[in-house]
Amino acid sequence: MGAFIAFQDVTKNFGAVTVVDRLDLQIAKGEFLSLLGPSGSGKTTILMMLAGFERPTSGAILLADKPITHLPPHRRQMGVVFQNYALFPHMTVAENVAFPLEMQRVPRAEITRRVERALDMVRLSPLKDRKPSQLSGGQQQRVALTRALVFEPDVILMDEPLGALDKQLREHMQLEIRDLHRRLGLTIVFVTHDQSEALTMSDRIAVFNAGKVEQIDTPQAVYDRPRTRFVAEFIGETNLVEGKVVEAGAQQAVVRVGETALNVSGEVSPGRDVSLSLRPERIRLGKEPAAANALNVTVADCIYHGDHMRLVLKSGTIELVARAERLAGDWAVGTEAVASFDPQDCTVLAS
Amino acid sequence: MLRALQIVFGILVVAFLILPIIAILPLAFTSSVFLTYPIPAYSLRWFEELVSADVWRLSIVNSLIIGGGATVLSTVLGTLAALGLRASSLPFAGLLRTLFLLPMVVPAVVLGVGMQIFLVRLGLASTYPGVIIAHAVLCVPFVVVSVSAALQGIDPAVEKAAMSLGAPPVTVFRRVTLPLAVPGVVSGAVFAFATSLDEVVITLFVAGPNQRTLARQMFSSIRENISPTVAAAALLLIVGTLCLAALAALLRRREKRAVAVP
Amino acid sequence: MSRASVRDRSRAFALVAPLVLFLALFFVWPLWTMVTASVVDDAVTKVLPRTAVAMADWDGSDLPPPAVHGALAEDLRTAQDQQALGEAVRRLNSAVSGFRTLLTRTVTAAREAPDPAALDFAAVDPRWNEPRFWRAIKEAVPPYTDRNLLAALDLRRDAGGSIVAEEPGAAANRIIMLRTFVIAGSVTLACAAIGLPYAMLAAAAGGVMRALLLLAVLVPLWTSLLVRTAAWFILLQQEGLINRTLGSLGIIDAPLPLIFNRLGVIIAMTHVLLPFMVLPIYSVLIAVPRNLMPAAASLGAGPIRAFWRVLLPLAMPGLMSGCLLVFMVAIGYYITPALVGGANDQMISSVIAFYALGTANWGMAGALGLILLAVTLLLYLVYGRLSRSPQLPGA
Repeated sequence: MGAFIAFQDVTKNFGAVTVVDRLDLQIAKGEFLSLLGPSGSGKTTILMMLAGFERPTSGAILLADKPITHLPPHRRQMGVVFQNYALFPHMTVAENVAFPLEMQRVPRAEITRRVERALDMVRLSPLKDRKPSQLSGGQQQRVALTRALVFEPDVILMDEPLGALDKQLREHMQLEIRDLHRRLGLTIVFVTHDQSEALTMSDRIAVFNAGKVEQIDTPQAVYDRPRTRFVAEFIGETNLVEGKVVEAGAQQAVVRVGETALNVSGEVSPGRDVSLSLRPERIRLGKEPAAANALNVTVADCIYHGDHMRLVLKSGTIELVARAERLAGDWAVGTEAVASFDPQDCTVLAS
Repeated sequence: MLRALQIVFGILVVAFLILPIIAILPLAFTSSVFLTYPIPAYSLRWFEELVSADVWRLSIVNSLIIGGGATVLSTVLGTLAALGLRASSLPFAGLLRTLFLLPMVVPAVVLGVGMQIFLVRLGLASTYPGVIIAHAVLCVPFVVVSVSAALQGIDPAVEKAAMSLGAPPVTVFRRVTLPLAVPGVVSGAVFAFATSLDEVVITLFVAGPNQRTLARQMFSSIRENISPTVAAAALLLIVGTLCLAALAALLRRREKRAVAVP
Repeated sequence: MSRASVRDRSRAFALVAPLVLFLALFFVWPLWTMVTASVVDDAVTKVLPRTAVAMADWDGSDLPPPAVHGALAEDLRTAQDQQALGEAVRRLNSAVSGFRTLLTRTVTAAREAPDPAALDFAAVDPRWNEPRFWRAIKEAVPPYTDRNLLAALDLRRDAGGSIVAEEPGAAANRIIMLRTFVIAGSVTLACAAIGLPYAMLAAAAGGVMRALLLLAVLVPLWTSLLVRTAAWFILLQQEGLINRTLGSLGIIDAPLPLIFNRLGVIIAMTHVLLPFMVLPIYSVLIAVPRNLMPAAASLGAGPIRAFWRVLLPLAMPGLMSGCLLVFMVAIGYYITPALVGGANDQMISSVIAFYALGTANWGMAGALGLILLAVTLLLYLVYGRLSRSPQLPGA
């Protein structure tokens, strides 16, 4: 599958500040790509450049192999869903949804028909004559989505569209958008700072930090095999362990951490100082060694979290946090145990 | 104790603020030639005077002509300027905004002296265009403030949304920006008209006897020989401005409701 | 800069330009005209240009050299514009009386003389033997003067050209300026004394109460200034409602003098300007969290201490901008003192209006106007710094 949208060496400066730094990014047709990062990482600027509201300082943006870098927003055929929905406050729901069709000079009768069908699909027909201010947050969200979809654009861009909703509604809308993506085969670029949202919905996630891409991968790969320290820390919770590589093979290495040698996955050269990432839920606690890596540990603290416990484990100078299910038994403070984990769960991070 | 004191104080101040305005109203209906209570009998003779006496009738017509002209002129200029001030790319925007507000600050008499000398030189003194221009200068700040407030209330994302949905810039302005700014423009125009209606000092300096406005006529009438016609004219002005204020308040509320996005 | 932002910028310019031009032409220029009217004094130099040049070499003592005589004769002979000549004569006559007949006679002589350069001035009129007439011309030929500005401050130049105070009999402007500040100050104090507690009351009140209290402030603000002044005129007069009510209640025997005096002016102006005090204070207080006073109480502060230590300091910025605003507007007031004040309550605006409308002395009107303008703009500058929004409330 060739790239449908491509950023080629795109840089964006605001004054002396570089917000996007030499970005290369390919998005395939029909893909759901999330741009994930903390605020100020440049992800919204990338979306705004794609929509045409910002011009790159240098570089080119291509849509279906044609450069669109200097095309004004109204000729890009991209449906944008904004953070606060940006519904037209002086128009009714139906007028809002009809707007893009009017812009395309669709005949009156057809507009009416298509608006009705679109509103039916999101169960908003009874509200079609209301003004946006008379709708709930979730309803406004659905209107914004419908308005962006109704003119069948090539691409849908979403800028933190679920940020203003409460948790329950947000989770519901996540599934609704994912479902829409699958059913209609849309290409969606989705900006969010919420990692769980990105993990739930995306085909691929691009993790941004300070204007640069840290990693682009499937949700599983980003979570299980973070490439950098930033990705490991930004997505989920992790244990970071510092050590020195003593032995290295293909995708395999041995890293010395204090007194212990750990088998890890990743391509490194011997003698280097490296950081390792180990997810808490990958640590199995028991009385006997149960994997290639096994450390004798003492339970230093135990924090109750309802459905699970967080255990702080100590082994010499190493301190690890492990997640233990409630059913896995009680681990009183001071208990001696063995922490086991597989080499493929212990990832070497690019420093 | 403290509570009682507060209530008494509040009532006294409200009375101080409101009663004088209310007290003048019944005198418009007196049958006497004196502006005093008690009112001997009620009559409409002073309203008749207002519409039949040439000076009063002319002054009412003049107020409408000059107020209308100044409103149109200041609303057009002020609205355009407010739209320009909105662009982030405009240099010296702060300085310009201050310039636009200054006519509200400069003492009327000072501006009046300057206007008089200047309009005499231009040959516009004691002409309708001269008085309309002078009033428009005073009205401009109210329009700029009102329209700017309305424009500030527009979420920039709404205009971006229109663009992304296929609307070229002119259409965005016509279908989104302008409709959302209209309440501000209308309330600015209402302010402008009310300002012109109430203006005396500049009129004193630049208008001739033929451009005498209602406010100006009331001023000389109070000064020279006050009669209940002044009370009748005051009633007219109060009812007029309160209607305009109500209209402006109504529009502001609609505007606020329309722009409010949770 | 990219092409798009250049286009944006020029569009913004095009939108702002009409108003900028309009205000430059009909606001800034008139004010500038007023300022120049106070310092320009070119009536004499326009008519006597050669004399002006020739007199530069004369030190002003005794009689001028013959070159000055020749220049004056030539200027007078060639003076064509009767209106300009008349203005020059009026200007000179106001400095030394007698110039009217003197110059009329000399103009005729200069026109009839076969050789104007040799005209014997003393023979035309013996007054030309007096140096004071020549000195008056010398003093009047510079095109600019500080006479009006000095006079506005009750100063003048003496015969030697140094600045001295005007004789007490002719000095009125300082008294009027002082009076302007006293009246504006009294009104500001009255507004603060009523406005601060009122704003606190409104901010502390809830729901309908607050709406009513605010409405009571907004209704006068919305009512025509002239209507409000007329109302006070009617209320305060001898047979007015206040005197009638007090009389029928038996509180007073004879009507109180409430109108055409200082008390009337201050009452009416306080009524007119009170909203400008209440609104800034209210807008500051409304932003104060409601639980601050209970918090102060829980920390052991009694109501009075809590007021002094918590609420008043928080209200201070509003009080300061309210005071500045009221004072700034008050010093420029004209209508209210003109209608309800007596002769001794007229403020600087009335004097300016008198000069401009009454005597067409635009030089003095401009000089006093310049002073009022400078003070107002200074106060506005401070107000802008203090409140961070240059907008006046009620707009």
